[in-house]
Amino acid sequence: MRPLEYVTPHSLAEALERLAGSDPSETVVWGGGTALGPLLRRGLVRPRVLLGLERVAGLQDLSLAEDGLRVGALVRLADLSRSPVVRGSLPLLAEAAGRVGNVRVRNAATLGGHLAHADPAQDLPPVLLALDAQVRLESVRGTRTLPLERFLVGPLQTARADDELLTEVWVPAAAFGRRTAYVRFTPRSSQDYPTVGVAASLRVDADGVCREARVAVGGAAPTALRVPAAEAALVGGRLTRERCRDAAAQVESAVDPWDDTRGSARYKRAMARVWTERVLEDLASEA
Amino acid sequence: MAEFHAGGEGRTDAWVKLYGQAVYAGDVRVPGMLYGALVRSPYPHARILRIRTEAARSLPGVHAVLTGEDVRYGTYGRRVRDMPVLARQVVRFAGERVAAVAAESPELAREAAALVEVDYEPLPAVFDPEEALRPGAPRVHEAPWTYPGAVTGPEDPPNLQSRRVWQHGEEVEAVLARCRYVFDETYFVPAAHQGYLEPHGCLAWWKPDGSVEVWASNKSPHRLRAQLSACLGLPPDRIRVMPLYVGGDFGGKGSPMDVPVCVALSEATGRPVKLVLDYEEDLSCTNPRHASKVRVRLGVDGEGRLRALDVRAVANGGAYAAFKPAEHVNLNGFGEAGNTYRIPSVRIESLIAYTNTVPRGHMRSPGSLEANFAVESTVDAAARALGIDPLEFRLRNVLRTGDLGTLGEPWVEARGEEVAQAAAAALRESEPQAPVGRDGGRWARGVGFAFYCRAAHGGTTEVALLPQPDGSLVVRVPFPDQGGGQHTVVRNVVQRELGLPAGFVRVEQADTSQLATDSGVGGSRVSLTASAAAASACAELRRRLEEEGLAQLPVQAALAELARRWPQEVVRASVSVDEELWVNSVCVQAARVAVDRDTGQVRVEELVTALDVAEVLNPASHRAQVEGGVVMGLGSALLEELVLEDGRVVSTNLHDYRLPSVADLPRLRVVLVPGGKGWGPHGVKPVGELTNVAVAAAVANGVADAVGVRVRRLPISAEEVYQLMHPREGKA
Amino acid sequence: MTGAVVELWVNGEPVRAAADGAEFLAEFLRERLGLVGTKLGCGIGVCGLCTVWMDGRLVSSCLVPVAVAAGRQVWTVEGLVALAEGRVHNPPPGLPRPELVRAVHRAFVQCEGLQCGICTAGQVWAVCALLSEEPVPPEGRVREFLAGNLCRCTGYQGILRAVQQASEEWAQRAAP
Repeated sequence: MRPLEYVTPHSLAEALERLAGSDPSETVVWGGGTALGPLLRRGLVRPRVLLGLERVAGLQDLSLAEDGLRVGALVRLADLSRSPVVRGSLPLLAEAAGRVGNVRVRNAATLGGHLAHADPAQDLPPVLLALDAQVRLESVRGTRTLPLERFLVGPLQTARADDELLTEVWVPAAAFGRRTAYVRFTPRSSQDYPTVGVAASLRVDADGVCREARVAVGGAAPTALRVPAAEAALVGGRLTRERCRDAAAQVESAVDPWDDTRGSARYKRAMARVWTERVLEDLASEA
Repeated sequence: MAEFHAGGEGRTDAWVKLYGQAVYAGDVRVPGMLYGALVRSPYPHARILRIRTEAARSLPGVHAVLTGEDVRYGTYGRRVRDMPVLARQVVRFAGERVAAVAAESPELAREAAALVEVDYEPLPAVFDPEEALRPGAPRVHEAPWTYPGAVTGPEDPPNLQSRRVWQHGEEVEAVLARCRYVFDETYFVPAAHQGYLEPHGCLAWWKPDGSVEVWASNKSPHRLRAQLSACLGLPPDRIRVMPLYVGGDFGGKGSPMDVPVCVALSEATGRPVKLVLDYEEDLSCTNPRHASKVRVRLGVDGEGRLRALDVRAVANGGAYAAFKPAEHVNLNGFGEAGNTYRIPSVRIESLIAYTNTVPRGHMRSPGSLEANFAVESTVDAAARALGIDPLEFRLRNVLRTGDLGTLGEPWVEARGEEVAQAAAAALRESEPQAPVGRDGGRWARGVGFAFYCRAAHGGTTEVALLPQPDGSLVVRVPFPDQGGGQHTVVRNVVQRELGLPAGFVRVEQADTSQLATDSGVGGSRVSLTASAAAASACAELRRRLEEEGLAQLPVQAALAELARRWPQEVVRASVSVDEELWVNSVCVQAARVAVDRDTGQVRVEELVTALDVAEVLNPASHRAQVEGGVVMGLGSALLEELVLEDGRVVSTNLHDYRLPSVADLPRLRVVLVPGGKGWGPHGVKPVGELTNVAVAAAVANGVADAVGVRVRRLPISAEEVYQLMHPREGKA
Repeated sequence: MTGAVVELWVNGEPVRAAADGAEFLAEFLRERLGLVGTKLGCGIGVCGLCTVWMDGRLVSSCLVPVAVAAGRQVWTVEGLVALAEGRVHNPPPGLPRPELVRAVHRAFVQCEGLQCGICTAGQVWAVCALLSEEPVPPEGRVREFLAGNLCRCTGYQGILRAVQQASEEWAQRAAP
């Protein structure tokens, strides 16, 4: 018998207090349980307290304001994918959220949990990297906001301190209205984790000149990875095939994949290139 | 419950399953039962130096912790009895049972199992079957030929599990030497899990009177009883295997698996003990498909006619042979190599080796997929090399009615040509999917065919009819319905034979004490034997009704009257159908595939399955068996590989071991080609292991047609195709 | 028993349980409550055997620690059958309509949407949830929605036919 308590504080302050005063191996934050659940079942994590945030006001909010879209950490992926607000402002995010895992996973998994789990093969990290997302971390010590690329540190590792909670994801309005795309390459089964995932967002002016570019890949490095060199190859000119190919070559040299059942490192590297090129060419041809 | 009997439509078990009331092994609950858990070896080969169980025993609620030294039963197996109930002194694969715990709850049992400490001394291990058969290889067993049921001898390589040779016609080397063309190709089919979604489970109850009751996820209760009898040293009549639903089998649920250890826990505690594996254990520690390397040499003459076929297969049997039931402890599907063609000289050899890996068992059509993928790919490669259309090449060589089979079989018919033409016609009717937008050039398209032929086999079974006072009839059968629909077949036959209306026949599974004999579900034989036994029991019942002067009454009234006169009346019939019937089924599959030129991704856009049928006793279940087989074949073709590294299974969950989902399927088209000659009064042809076999070869041949590369390894992964298409990059 | 005691609602009835850290909702339903219609498969949320309805959504009960289920409404296949048979008087909002469940059951029988039956409870939940949400879903949506409920026997074709049939029947009934 291993007692386990599910604690659901009623306010953020209470949750942060609770977190500040506890041993991280004893108390873990519980979102939807789709990532932690299997670890708990197998005894790979053995907490005494699960800290649930469902009663904390505000964490399930989705709000669109002038400065961008704010998504509470407890918003479930199913709700994210169906939200008219998200569909209207960031259709790519809604669509990608609707393709994570399966129906039951999306019904349970939260955006905060998805990001805090930091599995390098997940779908939303590259998408959110391509959308300049920032995450808000709060603790009794204060609040900080980090760009997502600085939050993701390594496989299953983030910049979150033990006493911090990821409370909100913010996508700045600057990322709205770009041409966006995400491809999850799953050659075995649509239900699989992607062999590689490639996300991109571009702002192209009326003359066809690329003014802003974001390129990010999942499944091909210890974290989802933004590739500034690829972005640099795109900005400042028209989106020619050559530019797209250069950007894809930059991605190929930036990634650092590993061998697993979804492909060898060598193959994933090549696929990161192929899919980057395809994604960019598709975006280039959008009117 | 009334709805269970409503209407003659649908499966006999449809409502009970929809209502969640069908009882499977994990669902059985007996008052006072304990839960079992296993301690497994982390080493593929090691000496057990010491096992410390004190910490586990001292947990409150733990009733027993057993090691190999505590178990006095013998070894067990389906044919060769080489597997210990719990390892003694040595472990031979990573995942082998080393100790077992019985406790008050499943969680506590697992907790206690984690507290058992074992000291091991690792030993040299061998993982590859060819290495295992070489002189000087580490020995998996010291003297495997001494196990009861062994088919090898001291003169054989010490790691040989089984060797079987099939031969017909002139000596194959001599014919190959005379052939104008000889195609020499080698193929690989990896280990795979059967993918049943219900993990293995059982409940055993050693009762105070010394008898044992068993509930197990097992498809052959009477065989299980015999296997347990041999292992436990108890007479069969002291063991009762209870009726139960089985949550998928596909070849994997025919062994005692963990029943003996569960019996040991029950005997030790005096309590019923339930042991259900978690899926990870089932994926890594039970009885997956053998990995096989198959070399094919095919001799063709100047007219494009097949003259000789030499097949040599080496399969990885894992640490124990206990899970193979066939007489030669081999994979009989290898004997089918080339059997859809006229080939005057054939030699097939199949070697199975012991290695320090998970023991291997049967998976739907064991050996057939392996042989078919290799031979049908080679035939295709030969046609392309000779510049002949692959379908035309096959039809030029196809076996026809009147021909002897490749091994001299006097088949009653051979309908390959008809079935192939039906498949080709269906494929012509459909158009390839139009290239979509800018992606148009990305996909290269092609078409691939593969032929397969499977023999019907007989067996024994028994059926009992119990007339009821309400004019209905209970039919007792000795085998479970593991999903194949055999209970429904029996119901349909009985309804038809007696002219009973829908709803008046109820099929029940007997326990092993109620009926005497059954060869179990497997080898696609059950519909054949069960329908024969049911028909024979109906004839016997009609005779009884005559005797009683009830034959002229309406049948329900007659049954009611018989039940009134003789309340204990049971009419039984058993049948024993010859193993060889010379009836076969032919299946031709045609795949329309698209290959992404830059990624190697293979998309099957359409899969046509044409098959030879005679009479269909249960059309809905027949269709489901056909379609289910096709999708399983797609899984084998494209997705499924149980990956082992250093002898350990590493694809230990359903993220890594991917089964096909409904979102992954192409258009499936099934064409039944009626008019075949089946066996017996009902004209039965086997179907359960027919449509999963040739899918892989059809897809691989489609890939060859689309992009000109020959895939020689399953599954046909995007990466495999990519490497073949970009060989320079591949070797970088 | 030591540790916290949790209370939850299963098929409309209150139940109490000790919050054992190693116990999950699937095992709790099966072993403690004897509601064995919910099956346990992969243990990682992939296969769909343990699908139950919890507070308005389908979830994998293998991934919900009992402690987390505290205070929640859980419905299993046994409850779904009670609903279909009209034995539930005040069903919580969001459960499938009884007529829909009956239509899905009939369709599974008539279209042979099941074989071994181990995945069936989960499949029926998924189909009921889908048709509750969208009575006439396009085929792509059906496949996407059901992709998380594996079936090894049928090749899914019978299930797809059952969805089609139930959808037609349900849409007709739902139409004014």
